[in-house]
Amino acid sequence: MRTLFVAASIAMSLFLSSTSFGMGAEDVVKKSQAAFLYPGKDFKARVMMKLINKDGQERIRELTMLRKNFGEPGGDQKYFMYFHQPADVRDMTFLVWKYPRKDSDRWLFIPAIKLVKRIAANDKRSSFVGSDFSYEDVSGRAVEEDNHSLLREEKYEGKDVYVVKSVPKASESVDFGYKLSWIDKGSFIPWKEEYYDKRGSLSKVFTANEVKPVQGFITVMRRTMKNVQSGHRTEVVYSDVKYNQGLSDSLFTERSLKNLPREISR
Amino acid sequence: MGEGRLQMELSQEGPLDSRLYLKGDLIGDGVGEKGDADLREFYLDHSPFPFLDVRLGRQIITWGTGDLIFVNDLFPKDFTSFFVGRNMEYLKVGSDAAKLSIYPGLFSMDIVAIPRFTPSEVPDGERLSFFNPFAGRLSASGERLSAKKPSFTLGSTEIATRIYRDFGSYEAALYGFRGFFKEPAGMDPAEGVLVYPKLSTYGSSLRGPFLGGIGSVEFGYNDSREDRSGSNPLIENSSLKYLLGYERELWSDFTVRAQYFLEQMLDYGEYKATLPAGAPVKSELRHLLFLRLTQFLRYQTLQLSFVGFYSPSDRDGMLNPEVTYKINDRWSATSGANVFFGKKDFTPFGQLTRDDNLYLRLRAGF
Repeated sequence: MRTLFVAASIAMSLFLSSTSFGMGAEDVVKKSQAAFLYPGKDFKARVMMKLINKDGQERIRELTMLRKNFGEPGGDQKYFMYFHQPADVRDMTFLVWKYPRKDSDRWLFIPAIKLVKRIAANDKRSSFVGSDFSYEDVSGRAVEEDNHSLLREEKYEGKDVYVVKSVPKASESVDFGYKLSWIDKGSFIPWKEEYYDKRGSLSKVFTANEVKPVQGFITVMRRTMKNVQSGHRTEVVYSDVKYNQGLSDSLFTERSLKNLPREISR
Repeated sequence: MGEGRLQMELSQEGPLDSRLYLKGDLIGDGVGEKGDADLREFYLDHSPFPFLDVRLGRQIITWGTGDLIFVNDLFPKDFTSFFVGRNMEYLKVGSDAAKLSIYPGLFSMDIVAIPRFTPSEVPDGERLSFFNPFAGRLSASGERLSAKKPSFTLGSTEIATRIYRDFGSYEAALYGFRGFFKEPAGMDPAEGVLVYPKLSTYGSSLRGPFLGGIGSVEFGYNDSREDRSGSNPLIENSSLKYLLGYERELWSDFTVRAQYFLEQMLDYGEYKATLPAGAPVKSELRHLLFLRLTQFLRYQTLQLSFVGFYSPSDRDGMLNPEVTYKINDRWSATSGANVFFGKKDFTPFGQLTRDDNLYLRLRAGF
């Protein structure tokens, strides 16, 4: 009788934990990265970035972005970017080979002097093209680099979400103290992320403003990163989103950097 | 100097995956009070096979691992533009060339044929003073350097090749060149002009991640074909060139690049033995240190940079601090200074000590 009672209570507590804390925080973050950064085998989009300062002055960055996955979500990826606007970066191309567990390889092609420049990439928190997004915000941060904990589950603008706190293990390597993420329980898209500085004050806020399925993949079509301390923000709009186009490996090479294939410029 | 430039660019896609590209500058020169035009690039691209890209016409070609120091890149440059503070894009000069880029799979290869010789622009007395080797002193005001280009014959076509591939994150390359010095490295005392002697080069490079940044090594052997023994004092000797480079982002938006360049003159004994009395003596080893610091601020609208060269062997160098402010997506303003120093008039930077300058550039892009 006694053994039965113990067994029943264990079963009960397991059941409770699986409902209230459905999965581990790290699993939530892994699934979120897979949904947000790795959907499809490959991806292509036209990206319009608006960099807006606190006085409302706008600068723009318009580019075509291609991504291809190599292996499972969380694994290696290659990115190719071609800049359309503004004039001082027009026709520049940028290639990233991302390896989650070591520094990415990055190359920038400067058309005016036909120079393929290798970019030192050890600081992933540097601003991407002068925007509020860092390189890491664009291509992701390895799950193992942070300690993740599930703070709570709640509703965010009517959607069921997990709220996850992520604390960098090597705090000296990053410019933030910790991050809170509001991750959709169904799609695992992050609706909101708050970055806190090392003094614990809110510094940057990411929001997914428009999300829709494209070829069955939930896609964040509009997003914003706002620096609440400087008042500067960056709004990003995706268009012409296409998945699984069978992008060839040869697109992600030095040859494409220097001699842009037509399938990219169009 | 005061100079206005209007640059126009035209790109036209043609049939069979071809593309015609043109970039030209109209120049209003406040020093010479004249107008000029500069056809920077004008070429046709075509890919007749999936493994082959062909580019025909006036084109800018760049390769190698150096930043402002070139070992295996024997394509023409315009150092005058750099020394007077023009935009970096004017450092490179187009070559009238045919370039084949071949991608068989295991490696990649470029073959460039340049039928018509284009020299590098070097200080020639028009804007910058130069060391006059005939007179053994710095150029006087109004004095011009005159140099005679190689004659335009079938045999004078220059050939440059590069074979390269990746090994993981590391990029390796082999280089070869047969043509002429791009700087006037020889003298013709009979005519009283400088000449561009025959030159072949062979080299290699490796670049990749190193100590949290990017490291590179490059080597080149310069074969001065008209003075293989080194005994002709009128023509530069053969040499070995070594370049080490390292770049690292020390903190967000702050990058440091350091380079060490060593040039070793070969047959130095012959050079010393045959040098005319009274002529300046170059050292056998030329060491050159290079530092570039770049800091972006305010969402990369403000860029502070510093470039410095210092040669412990020549005891000369230059300093180039610069600030660029991007007013908006169209307009940017750049201001900087070039300061040259050196003990001797005949060293590369020492000849420019009277040419310190401040510059201000306004640029609008549409």
